[in-house]
Amino acid sequence: MRFLKRTGCAMAGVVLYVGSTLVMADVVVVVATASPVKALASNQVADIFLGKANRFPSGAQAVPVDQPEGSVTRDEFYAKFTGKSAAQLKAHWSKIIFTGRGQPPETVSNSAEVKKHIAENPNTIGYIEAREVDGSVRVVPADPQ
Amino acid sequence: MTPRLNRLALAVMTLYAGAVDADDSTPPMFSLSSFGTVGIVHSSEKNADFTSSIYKPNGAGHTRNWDADVDSLVGAQLTANFTSQLSAVVQVISEQRYDDSYRPGLEWANFKYQFTPDFSVRVGRTVQPAFLFSDSRKVGYTLPWVRPPGEVYSMVPVTSTDGMDLSYRLHFGDLTNTVQGNYGQSDPRLPHNTGKSLAKDSWGVSNLTEYGALTTRVTYQQTRLTVESFNPLFDSFRAFGEEGNAIADRYDSKGKRFEFVGVGAIYDPGKWFAMGEWGYFDSHSIIGTLSAWYLSAGYRMDAFTPYVTYARSRTLSETSSAGLTTSTLPPDLAGAATGLNGALNTILASSSSQQTLSVGVRWDFTKNMDAKLQYDHTRLGSSASGPLINLQPGFEPGGTFSLLSLAVDFVF
Repeated sequence: MRFLKRTGCAMAGVVLYVGSTLVMADVVVVVATASPVKALASNQVADIFLGKANRFPSGAQAVPVDQPEGSVTRDEFYAKFTGKSAAQLKAHWSKIIFTGRGQPPETVSNSAEVKKHIAENPNTIGYIEAREVDGSVRVVPADPQ
Repeated sequence: MTPRLNRLALAVMTLYAGAVDADDSTPPMFSLSSFGTVGIVHSSEKNADFTSSIYKPNGAGHTRNWDADVDSLVGAQLTANFTSQLSAVVQVISEQRYDDSYRPGLEWANFKYQFTPDFSVRVGRTVQPAFLFSDSRKVGYTLPWVRPPGEVYSMVPVTSTDGMDLSYRLHFGDLTNTVQGNYGQSDPRLPHNTGKSLAKDSWGVSNLTEYGALTTRVTYQQTRLTVESFNPLFDSFRAFGEEGNAIADRYDSKGKRFEFVGVGAIYDPGKWFAMGEWGYFDSHSIIGTLSAWYLSAGYRMDAFTPYVTYARSRTLSETSSAGLTTSTLPPDLAGAATGLNGALNTILASSSSQQTLSVGVRWDFTKNMDAKLQYDHTRLGSSASGPLINLQPGFEPGGTFSLLSLAVDFVF
């Protein structure tokens, strides 16, 4: 009985895990087509967007650009790459803002604006829905946590 | 309580007058942010006041049954980016002050020059580093609790310092290490016309390491501390010749070296968190030698984060003194000496030794705001009064007391 229960829990866990991976898999990290950045680990993406690093591992400047607060893409991105909810992210930036140590990434209104920004500034790194990727940007493979 | 909240509301409106909405696409020249807490506290100890800081003159318990002064505050911050290297920050906070007013005080006012993306220098009024949450200890929204555990955070109650600091950040693969050095001075005023606490030639070194979900911090700080309110007592001791001088040299706080060591760590993978801090200070004076620590953990369930904290402080230095030898003194002087000995021993005995168990829940009920409910139960060491002030005749040291706190935090 106990064995059955345990197996059931494990299976439920696997189903949940697969389910969440499928749901969360839509957001991709994008850079300029000309960017030398080939791949990033998820924690490197997290460090850039949380203000802990302002350079790519190669040493080149990294300028993150955010989607608006409350957008599904944004919430999914931060959940996937930093494990932080919108409220935790707000608390994280409050800690930094209220000591004058930094400001959160610039926010643009939607994925089209992210792509436009990246085209204008090759140091920019952003995130958009996978289906919105076109020839103006390049997806950076980034393993989620 | 009502006129107090009105004053607070007025302060909020004043701070908002002239607010600039800086939501441009380019990094703005000026950005205005604000934060605050509206909280009420009830204490089971009716013969004394609980306060959250030695800079507050009264609080919950004796003075008020439900007190809004313990945790309520509002702050506004203007950040100016002059160039990509040069910026300035001014932060003003309105909270209960030593004189029981809410007159806004200047918390930070500094220029920062960013020599490289990883090396910066700040000059002016900056944070007094000591703890994991020193940078934002007054921004309730950034804290998991209603207020930081008093056992540890009261060890360095001063929050800002006038001087400069340097910060150097190093990256080793996935590990980010930030070394900070600071130098400065402060002279905050204490309540009840007891003068100031003067900290001169303060300096320190802090090391912050971030690796994935783990953050650790180690700090060493030292200063030359003078607590003016102790001066008359030891001036009187000095009138008793060699023995009096020896006692005064041992216990007075005129420019004595105050050293502090702090170690802390947070592990926060997202779904839950666990953290702890340990602190130790040696004042080389009547303030004594103290060590304190806390452990805290919380679990996030959607918008709710229940948490539990256990904190403990222990005085390591002596809590009594033989004082002046009265038997060899003429009767009139012996009376005065007995009085001085009594005063000295009362201060030594009240030294902080206590433990607190806290349980609470944070509710992120809407964007930019949270509400917290917290229950604390404190057991004081024998003859200690801990964080309690305005002790009334019926107060018995060394007992227990409980607090119930409600707070709403916001950031904009």
